Order: sequence, then C-alpha cells, then structure tokens
Amino acid sequence: MILENINFCVEHGRIVTILGGSGCGKTTLMKGLVGLLKPAEGRFELYGRDISALGDNEWLDWVRRRIGVLFQSGALIGSLTLAENVALPIREFSNIPPEMVEEIVRLKLAMVKLGGYGSYYPAELSGGMKKRAGLARALALDPHILFCDEPTGGLDPITAAEIDNLLLELNHVLGITMVVITHDLPTILGISDWSIMIDGDVRGIIATGPPREMQHSPDPRVHDFFHRQAMIGNAR
Amino acid sequence: MFLKRGLPFETGRSSEGELLVSFKAPLTFENSAEIWEGANTLLAEHQNGPLVLDLSGVTKVDSAGVALLRSIEHLCRRKSIRLRIESVHPSIQHFLDYFEREPQVRRAPSPRGSLVARFGAFLVAQAAELNQFAGYGRSVLGVAARSVRRPGRFRWRECFYYLQLAGSDAMTILFLITFLLGVVMAFQAAIQLKQFGANIYVADLVGLALARELAPVFTAMLLAGRSGSFFAAEIGSMKVGEELDALTVMGFDLTEFITLPKVLALMIAAPLLTMWANFAGILGAIGVSGLSLDLTPYAFLHEFYAAVTFGDIAGGLLKSEVFAILIALVGCFRGFQTDMGADSVGRQTTAAVVSGLFLVIFADAIMTVLFYLLGW
Repeated sequence: MILENINFCVEHGRIVTILGGSGCGKTTLMKGLVGLLKPAEGRFELYGRDISALGDNEWLDWVRRRIGVLFQSGALIGSLTLAENVALPIREFSNIPPEMVEEIVRLKLAMVKLGGYGSYYPAELSGGMKKRAGLARALALDPHILFCDEPTGGLDPITAAEIDNLLLELNHVLGITMVVITHDLPTILGISDWSIMIDGDVRGIIATGPPREMQHSPDPRVHDFFHRQAMIGNAR
Repeated sequence: MFLKRGLPFETGRSSEGELLVSFKAPLTFENSAEIWEGANTLLAEHQNGPLVLDLSGVTKVDSAGVALLRSIEHLCRRKSIRLRIESVHPSIQHFLDYFEREPQVRRAPSPRGSLVARFGAFLVAQAAELNQFAGYGRSVLGVAARSVRRPGRFRWRECFYYLQLAGSDAMTILFLITFLLGVVMAFQAAIQLKQFGANIYVADLVGLALARELAPVFTAMLLAGRSGSFFAAEIGSMKVGEELDALTVMGFDLTEFITLPKVLALMIAAPLLTMWANFAGILGAIGVSGLSLDLTPYAFLHEFYAAVTFGDIAGGLLKSEVFAILIALVGCFRGFQTDMGADSVGRQTTAAVVSGLFLVIFADAIMTVLFYLLGW
C-alpha cells in the first residue's frame, strides 16, 4: 500500500499542486485520479462519481471530455507530427469536420507558442517544446480538469518559468482547473493557489494550504521541503 | 426565421439590409459541426452582400467555437463576402482575442525533385547504407580479432544468454516447421516418383535438398525473424533510453560489449539448429514415405546415407555460419541506427528482418554458384 486515507477538494478554476519527496506516491495518486490505476481499497471520486468503479469503456467515455493529462515526458506519439498528435483526440472523439479540426489544431499550437511547428515530429523538438506540445494535446478537447505530472521536471529554469507562465495563462484565460504534481519549489510558489503535501512514511497528506503559508509550517518535514537551501548551508 | 429547424441560429436582415445570423446557444464542441454545416449551406446560397454574425445570444465559446468562427471567416474571404461580428460579450471577446495569435514559425518546405532525381537519391542513400554496413562489419572483425587475443575480456555470460535465446528456445518451433517441410517435400516427390516406380529416390531428393539448401535457409529465416529482430529492438530501446551513451562515456567499446556476444551466440547456434532442422525434416519425410510409398525407415535411411555425403552436410553448415554472421550483424547494425522515439525502434526492427532475409537469400545464391563452380 503506497497511499491511505487521502481526501482533498479542488475548487473549480484553481491550481492545486501536490508536493512531496521522490517516491512518496504523487504520480501514483495522479494515475489513480485519472483512472489509470485502481485502488486496492476505497475509491477515487471526481465530480462526486466513483471513477474507480467504472468499467473500462464507461470510464473512457466519462473521462474523454473532462480530463486532460500532461505526462512527464510529454508522451507524444513519435510516429505522428505535432499537428496529428493534437488532432488525434479531436478526430476520434468529436464530430468536428476536418477543416475545423485543422483550425482547432492551429489554435491549440499557437496557444502553447508552437504555432507553425505542426509539421514537426516529436523527435525534432527540445524537452520544453515536447512538454508544450503535450499540453496542447492534453487541452485538445477543452477538458474541465488538467492534470500535469512534473510539468517543469528536467527543464532549465528559464524554460521551466515559461511552462509555469503558460499554465497560469491557460488557467486564467480558459478557467481550467489544474492539478499539478511537482516538487519544483519555484513552480509551487509561482503558480499554485493551494498545495497538498504527501509524505511517503505517513502514506498520506501531512499538510495543506496556500504554499506561502506552508513555507512557515512548524512541521520539520514541511519546513525541510521548502528550505532546501538552508539545509545545504547547515551541512556545510 | 429559422434556416433549418433545430439549428441554434436564426437568420434575418439587419436595418441596413445585410444578412444577419444570430446565434442563440453556446458555440462549443457539441454543436459546432452542426452549425458549420448550416453555415456552409447558408453561404452557398448567399451570393453577395455583407454578412453580420450577431453573438449577443452566445454565453459560452470553447476552442471549437473559435475554430467555427475562424472557419466562417475563411469561407467568407474565399467567397469575397464582407463579414462583421458584433454584440460579443466582453468575456467572450477576451477569449477570442487570446486566440488571435498567428503562428510565428514556418517550416521551409522540403525540396521535391523529379521522379528520376528522387530515384537517384534513393539509390545513393542505399549505397551509403551498404557502405556503412560494410564499415560496421569491418569494425566488428577488428574487435573480434582483438578479443581472440584477450578472451578473458569477452562477455561469455551474455553470449550464453543469447545462445539460449536464439538456440534452445527456437528448437521447438524449428522442429515443427522443418518436420512439416519434410512431410510436404516427401509428399510432393512421392506423387511424381510413384509414376516411374522410383519411390526410393525420395530419400535422395529430400535429403539433398534439406542438407544443402532448405535446412540452412529455413533456420536462417527463423533466426532473422526471432533473433535479428530481437537484437535490433533491444539495442534500439537501449539507444532511446540513453543506455548506449552511458556505456560509451563509461569507456566501453559498444561493439565488444554489445555486438560480439550476439554474433558468437548465433554462430554457435546456427549450425546446431541446422543439424536439428535436417533431423526433423528427414523424420517428416520418413513418415510420409512409410505411409504413401511403402518405404521402410531402414530403406529410406540406407538410400539417404548413399546419396547424401559429408560434403553436402558440411556445405549446408558452412552456409548457416555465413547466414548467422549476416543476421547478427544486420540486427545489431539496425539497432544502432535507431533514432530517438519508439517508432524508430519499430522501423529498425522491421528493417533488421527484411535486410536479414534479403542478405540470407543473396548470400545463398552466391554460395550456391560458388559451390557449383568449385565442384562441391
């Protein structure tokens, strides 16, 4: 058992970050929330509906228009161009005619600042561009909730800041609710309205709140997470 | 008035006499396709004069709605119809403005020459690839010579692993295939030979064909399909996962570390499997001969020993050695050619099998002619 007794609410239109050290179960939690993992016990509820109890087809129908997921690596399909990657869910799960699909794809790519890159293949892109393209695909069907798994992981600070800004902009303009899994402090402090901290030893939530308040938590586990720089200083 | 019953827009005339289309519902993924169809019909009938889209009744727009408005704009431009969008709710205007960004980067179109030029480019690319493969073969030979001088450095454990994978794991399927091959050959031969009362020569026909040609070629085909593809996929995945880069920066010679154990494993496995294929094929032929030609196993084997010499079997085994080297080399070569991305692994795995089979048949043709000229 990795996680137990996890309960949290996300207000519509907010950005919530789920924090915690490596291996504490953040990605497992996200996979549960999007229906990729079934819980050993209990349930994953979204919009008051137990998604873990849905059959495979039922879950797919339910999830398609409600949830978008940005995976750590972008998870683009290598044999398809960026435009084809973004068009894939639109073509499959809506009755939009082809000329309008092209228009939507252009909009989505422009939205993530990849306008004109539609004919590129994922292998031709940098890490930051792959994440942005993954974001465009995750947003293809205008989902209600966007889950992002380590959106700034493995990126340089400037590219990471660009992704953070993009997420903030999309949240502001499109009003999408976002659940962001991260342990990147600038991302946590820069974009989240609310944070939830998970601990691997406790197998659950140890702190919740606005991240700037959590920074001052007396709990040493939370304090150490937010004050890594100070810890390095102490060790020296 | 309604253009079409049930559509979420109305048409009419503005005070200036322009065609007025008033939307009465959100413009979203759910209804955009239907509205687009209606708009197409409307604009096909509308020949001239400006068009006004009234969005006062629109409370929500998503990206499909934006795409719909853009598509109507494009259509109007194509038909030289002047378009005006009015009464847009501020929150929707804000949303529409956000999407007003035009692509900044344009990829240069790739040059497309004439058919002859493209065919020429294809041939040049194939020649370059063949040259690369020959270079790779030479480098493997060089590393192999070095390894012979330092056998302690050779990765025997990996070699035995691949030997099991390519050899013993393939025995069952190879037995089945070549047993059935022996059955088919003996059966086809029996129909002809019976007419001339030459039943006994079925042993010569099947024995020689198997020993000299079919056993090594069928074994090689199985090795190309099973092991060549496995080598290419394994090395390709290692490349995608940056394992090859890691080995290189640690100072490993990739040819010695990755290629040689595989080549040696196949060189050991191929002749043994070819013998196994000979045995299975003969067994199948003996069965059919007994049933349809009334030949006893003793009579069959007696004729087989008289017809098939050690040279025939050795020739087949020599062929199988050459095939094994080619299959292992091309499998590894294709694996190293993998680019980043899962699709590239798939492409190179397919290429490993296709190239492997082609090289096997090509080498077989050359060796068959050579053996004939040498009187072997």
